[in-house]
Amino acid sequence: MSNKIVSKIKNFISGVEYVHRDQAVSHTLWEERELENIFTLLLMGSFSGIPAPPAFISAELIPLLTHELKIFNNRAENSFDTLAEMTGVLGID
Amino acid sequence: MKTIFFTGKGGVGKSTLAAAAAWQLAEKGYRVLTVSLDPAHNLGDIFGIKLHHRKKKFTSELYLQETDLEKAADEYIKNNMSIMKEVYGYLKTFNMDKYFSILKYSPGIEEYAALTSLEKILTKEEGCFDYIVFDTPPTGLTLHIFALPGVTLAWIERLIKIRKEILEKRYTIHNIKGKYIPEGVQLAYQEKDDKVIQKLYELQKRYEKVKSVLEGDDNSVSVVFNPDQLSLKESERLLEGLKELGLPVSHFFNNKLTEDNLKTAESVEAKLKKDNKSSTIKRIYYNDDNLSKGYMLNDDIAGLFIEQEGK
Repeated sequence: MSNKIVSKIKNFISGVEYVHRDQAVSHTLWEERELENIFTLLLMGSFSGIPAPPAFISAELIPLLTHELKIFNNRAENSFDTLAEMTGVLGID
Repeated sequence: MKTIFFTGKGGVGKSTLAAAAAWQLAEKGYRVLTVSLDPAHNLGDIFGIKLHHRKKKFTSELYLQETDLEKAADEYIKNNMSIMKEVYGYLKTFNMDKYFSILKYSPGIEEYAALTSLEKILTKEEGCFDYIVFDTPPTGLTLHIFALPGVTLAWIERLIKIRKEILEKRYTIHNIKGKYIPEGVQLAYQEKDDKVIQKLYELQKRYEKVKSVLEGDDNSVSVVFNPDQLSLKESERLLEGLKELGLPVSHFFNNKLTEDNLKTAESVEAKLKKDNKSSTIKRIYYNDDNLSKGYMLNDDIAGLFIEQEGK
């Protein structure tokens, strides 16, 4: 019985710790995603009309950028919902 | 190992002079490789043999090569497509993978193919030859090829900087939160595990090599021109481009001179010499005998490049 209580307390504490850790990195996570997005945007510059590197650099790197391309795609879909993005980052529900 | 680039307008005699320089250097006992980067090859015609993408022995000291830019572009596309197909393998089901092949007609691919060939030759033949003589394509493409390593490196440095920031952020996330696995994919947070930054470093190394050769003391760029105003105008544009790239011209070759065009030749020389006082001008007179075996010019071309060693 006492073991169960101890384990529940442990779970509760680790849950609290997880939430705190999650909150601590949420801003870094957002920054990291944005950087990945910028990185892909630079490589895909010729699609969006911004200065682009020589096409072969993009061609060499694109096969390695599956994850970044997903972020790029999501970012493009949500680009008009900047308010939601901001409230998300600031933790406002 | 020294490298010599013969540049100039189309049809001025770059290939003939490159061939003559290479032949004379080989005759003097130097090990020489002559490479044509011009998509409209005639190096093989000058030496009277059929040349291919790989180097061919002409004499014990002289090797010849015509880079096939289309083949180089094909190789590049094939190599990249094999990686692409792993990612987009499903396209095979729809028989759409063949459309990748038209990428070889994309803008910039020809320059890239030429640059890749140049880089491969410089890496592969290092130490095997005393001289590599390059016959280049006409002005526009040559300037693009010369500019490409610098432009590419600037972009690569910028991309590396961003990638490093991404990895730093991932490292922080990993340290605080534990494993960072968005959407079930474990992302690299250290440089050694990140294929993207490794690829960028590999590209950086390759282009730094080409850039250092082009800007090095062992490289010389020669401009070939004819005694006519069109040739002068294009040479001036070429010189402007080379100056912007920081590539000084070592020699001018005033080719196809006759008694009739001597006056024009002198005025063209004077205009070119005005802004390039340290370069030498060599006159090559038009001679019917030169047409049969172009590389056996009577004029001493090789001497100009050997003299440089003593300086």
